[in-house]
Amino acid sequence: MIIELLMFAMLFVTFAMITAKRINAVINGFMWQSLLLFAAMLRLAVASGNTELYILAALVLAVKAVFIPYYLRKITAEMNVSQNMGLILNPFLSLLSGIALTYLCYRFAGYVFSAQAPADKLMLTISVSVIAFGLFLMVFRMKALSQIIGLLVMENGTFLLASWTSGGMPFIVELAVFFDLFVLVIIVGTFIYRINKLFTHIDVSKLTDLKG
Amino acid sequence: MEILLILAIPLALSLAALAVKKTRTIEALNIAGYAAAFLLSVSLADKAADARVNLWDFFCVDGLSAYFIFIVALIDLACAIYSMSYLESDLADGHISPAKTGFYYFLFNIFSLSMFFVGAVNSLGLVWLAIEMTTLTSAFLVGFYNSKRSVEAAWKYIILCSVGITLALLGTVLLYYTASVHGGLRTLNWTDMAAAAPLMDPKILKIAFLFILVGYGTKAGLAPMHAWLPDAHSQAPTPVSALLSAVLLKTAIYAILRFAMIVNSTLGPAYTSNLLLFFGLLSLAVSAGFILVQKDIKRLLAYSSVEHIGIICVGLGIGGPAGLFGAFLHVFNHAVTKTLMFFGAGNIIKHYKTRNMHSMKGVLAAMPFTGAAVMLGAFALAGSVPFSVFISELYILLAAVTAGKYWAAGIFLLFVAIIFGALIHHFSKALFGRKPDGLPVKTEPLSVKLVLLALLGLMAFMGFSTPGLLARFINAAVAVMTGV
Repeated sequence: MIIELLMFAMLFVTFAMITAKRINAVINGFMWQSLLLFAAMLRLAVASGNTELYILAALVLAVKAVFIPYYLRKITAEMNVSQNMGLILNPFLSLLSGIALTYLCYRFAGYVFSAQAPADKLMLTISVSVIAFGLFLMVFRMKALSQIIGLLVMENGTFLLASWTSGGMPFIVELAVFFDLFVLVIIVGTFIYRINKLFTHIDVSKLTDLKG
Repeated sequence: MEILLILAIPLALSLAALAVKKTRTIEALNIAGYAAAFLLSVSLADKAADARVNLWDFFCVDGLSAYFIFIVALIDLACAIYSMSYLESDLADGHISPAKTGFYYFLFNIFSLSMFFVGAVNSLGLVWLAIEMTTLTSAFLVGFYNSKRSVEAAWKYIILCSVGITLALLGTVLLYYTASVHGGLRTLNWTDMAAAAPLMDPKILKIAFLFILVGYGTKAGLAPMHAWLPDAHSQAPTPVSALLSAVLLKTAIYAILRFAMIVNSTLGPAYTSNLLLFFGLLSLAVSAGFILVQKDIKRLLAYSSVEHIGIICVGLGIGGPAGLFGAFLHVFNHAVTKTLMFFGAGNIIKHYKTRNMHSMKGVLAAMPFTGAAVMLGAFALAGSVPFSVFISELYILLAAVTAGKYWAAGIFLLFVAIIFGALIHHFSKALFGRKPDGLPVKTEPLSVKLVLLALLGLMAFMGFSTPGLLARFINAAVAVMTGV
């Protein structure tokens, strides 16, 4: 029951992220999403008593809920970029698209997991929705930062599904995913600095030198 | 033992690139290292052709992975030699500072290490990690010149491929779900998957493979997920463009094949084959359009990579021993020919100081050696007789006709013919004619000449016969795929 509540809270936070207009609000949304992911992992760890799950939960807390939001806030503060996310779709249309996406994911989960327990279906619906919302943020927002946040949201959705599937993937693979995430965020961060320095903005819809 | 050494060499070289100050020493070490890695990869592939080479269950190499490791090692060696003169002239032109050459070799080696890693590891989760690492390390190489365009290209590259890789992770998670719930597995090792495959849920596997194909297909440059590819290939330093095009794309194909084999043992080959065939033909069609109107020589070659990845996927999709043999042979032939063409294009761009093929005239007169190599290479790349690419394309075409897939053979022929015309048209305009007045006649350094000659030799010789050892490697890879 606790897990289900956490999942719905996560979906709710993700809805808030796709309707937010300011970069800081989206970063906060990501932090809350990661905290909920941490709580869910902790619940799974307590239920199974598996040490590896405790370690992974601690990593979620340290990397996703603390380090990444801190790093992203640092970038926004240092580059002095405007808080505007650069919405291509306004909040109301984003909300409608979000509802439609969730429904599609629900149908998708019903199809793929037709033989599985309802709890599994719910989990698949919510994780695929979170992944779809991440993609949505990447496509319908113009700032470079929103692309990386969208990517992180996609990764959170995938991670949620991975930890649900019978107590997590092989430990080394889960560690590999964390390692990747950490390196990815650092590297993308350096590229955002470079873009800001060379172009004096981080509006990716204006990066159109290369065509055809 | 070979596996460890092949991985240790690029690792040691990357550290050396940071520690050693003299560029000359780094270059010499690099060439010696990759020559050794190449010999080791031959020995590894030879062993793996008979039986799997296993190390602590962590690394496992069979005929399929050994073949890809072998090609990576070969192209790495060529690129290590070519990098030498390329960076020298970059230094002379003031494009980069001396300190940056060390950084270049560091990235070059880490990038190669991650590509070797893709083929060497057993766990599909670590294959995933290694493929993502190839993106992250080569992103710095794409953005190496730190110009507006190269940073834009690197940004698109990293974002698009990371989205792809996240989808591939979702596919991997779904595979693990059915492998653990239905198959009772607690690992992602591909060596264990085959046994559990018949127990897995077909519906979940189908969806998982779709995510894998779209996800890794982004990295492989399959249309319509190829948007990053022309930008990254054209903005990277030329030796890196060659690596990206000749081998990086194929490591992603390798990952797709590993999954396809698991899915095939549950569902039969039809499902994955049809998808590969579809994306292959689509890539051919899309690239043909862009090749027709392309002016930038490196972008032209990049779109030609989309075409050849398409051809490889058509071969894999048609399947059967003949189709698979053709596809794997094409992996080799394209790697050799495209490397030659990128090196040639790099020489031309340096001399003419432009990428626009409309402003290149009389390359044959201005650079006789490079011009001749590029002319032969262009014919080979387009698929004309008597070069190697023609042979592998013929295998694939014959396999399609034998399998009764006449419509696929027809579409294949149509687009290959269009691209043939377009490539010959673009290159003949640049190669022939009078060279611009005031442009000196250029002679290339010996190392560049030797690399080009070796690649030309392979390209021409393999138009007549496939060397016995290579045929052995390819047959081993085919045997892994067909399960014989």
